[in-house]
Amino acid sequence: MWRWRRSAVTLVVVSAETLVLVLVVVTALGFDFTNGFHDTGNAMATSIATGALKPKVAVALSAVMNLIGAFLSVAVALTVTNAVVKTFSAAVKDPATGQVTAPAHLTMGGDALLMIVLGGLIGGIVWNLLTWLLGLPSSSSHALFGGLIGAAITANGWDGVNWVGDGTKLDGVVGKVLLPAVASPIVAALVAGLGTWVIFKIIAGISHRTSEEGFRWGQIGTASLVSLAHGTNDAQKTMGVITLALIATGHWSADASTIPFWVKLACAVAIAAGTYLGGWRIIRTLGKGLVEIESPQGMAAEASSAAVILASSHLGFALSTTHVATGSILGTGLGRPGAEVRWGVAGRMVVGWLLTLPAAGFVGGVMWSIGHVLGNTGGAIVEFLILIGLAGYMFQRSRHNAVGAHNVNDDWSGMPAASGVPSELATGGVA
Amino acid sequence: MSGGSAFVKDLHYAGTAIWQVLLASVVLGAGLPVIFALGVRSFAWGSGGQSAEGAPRPGNPAGKALAILLFAVVLYVLALGIYYIVVGGHGKELEFHGLWPEQVAKK
Repeated sequence: MWRWRRSAVTLVVVSAETLVLVLVVVTALGFDFTNGFHDTGNAMATSIATGALKPKVAVALSAVMNLIGAFLSVAVALTVTNAVVKTFSAAVKDPATGQVTAPAHLTMGGDALLMIVLGGLIGGIVWNLLTWLLGLPSSSSHALFGGLIGAAITANGWDGVNWVGDGTKLDGVVGKVLLPAVASPIVAALVAGLGTWVIFKIIAGISHRTSEEGFRWGQIGTASLVSLAHGTNDAQKTMGVITLALIATGHWSADASTIPFWVKLACAVAIAAGTYLGGWRIIRTLGKGLVEIESPQGMAAEASSAAVILASSHLGFALSTTHVATGSILGTGLGRPGAEVRWGVAGRMVVGWLLTLPAAGFVGGVMWSIGHVLGNTGGAIVEFLILIGLAGYMFQRSRHNAVGAHNVNDDWSGMPAASGVPSELATGGVA
Repeated sequence: MSGGSAFVKDLHYAGTAIWQVLLASVVLGAGLPVIFALGVRSFAWGSGGQSAEGAPRPGNPAGKALAILLFAVVLYVLALGIYYIVVGGHGKELEFHGLWPEQVAKK
């Protein structure tokens, strides 16, 4: 009898922890999904706006490139959360002998880590959905980092956050989040502006039809490249988070240099499905709101984005595809003499970017506190239900002024995305 | 507090990285569409047709040949970009000896 009771208690304990793990995995895949549709516009907004691709074809192409890109991420960085939160210490090797001097290990208990990750993910998703509702392109990576930072500060205090790294490389909130966010849109805008300016000098005098038809193909090629790079980089982040959660609960070895295949498959499908859904509200803002673009500008923008993203990853300079894409599109407006740049729209975006870390962090912190008050299992369930509720509410609000493939290219003046947005959402609730 | 000096180092590393990113991006990100534009221009020259003002023009085979060459350069760089992403996903990167890339372990 005694034996039976003990094993039943063990069973309950195990399933409680497993339940939290399952909720973390599902929430991570949900974040990956929002990451997909939030960023469709980064690659495809210009091709959709210029008519180089039909809207549905563009999102389908981008989804396929994201799916392929996600499967290319073989070397997943388990330390992705480490960029901002002290969670995981990778194995240290003696450079001379290659011997492991300190094995990979977590810096906190598995339960504690799960609750920080869950709070961070929910903060990221909520901010992604709110900015989508407002038609604001904002960085999904920053939303995730913001949520994690908020949860980590609430849990472990100011010191739980990796603010500046250890000085040996670009690291921490400053090195991996803040500095790239300031620099990358400016670099992208300069490159795209320069490209646009020279292109229009070269093609001056040839017929409009010839240039539109020619650059159509250049646009499709460069936009596909951006989508592929996005799939490789961004799906990898969620794969890292899920694998970290598996390590924290003892379901995977911290020393393994691989990740479970089902994690890769699930993340690839989630980001591709999100991309295919298409964040039409954001696509519209990027393609029609910032500047009116033609095919040559579209190619200049995507080539600039692809180059900045690839060069940065080569140099270990972490950046957000959203910041780069927005900078590039703005640059094509600046580089073309006589083109109108809507600075009001750009200003709204910058405000959104500045709010991303604190707002996602606030939600992440609140979520962690709920888990702290209610206990891990009950807290995780309540947090998850709150997330479902908020997501459902924001989806409902989006129906009032739906943006889709049918009206994504309508003239900006009658902006369906801005006019119908409830003002209390535009100003309150997040600051 | 060591945080201050790590912050200064972050600024320094970022400054170095930004210049390199800018340089590489100008060459690839602005250079590629410019080569493409030259290709479009050559193609228009090669196929003749009408100028922007509507005047008929004869075609020139040299223009088409030049256009194909320029588009080939663009395709090569795009293919390199894809190759770079594939290799990067496997934790490696490319090193160039002349025009041909070689896979090496990531530093």
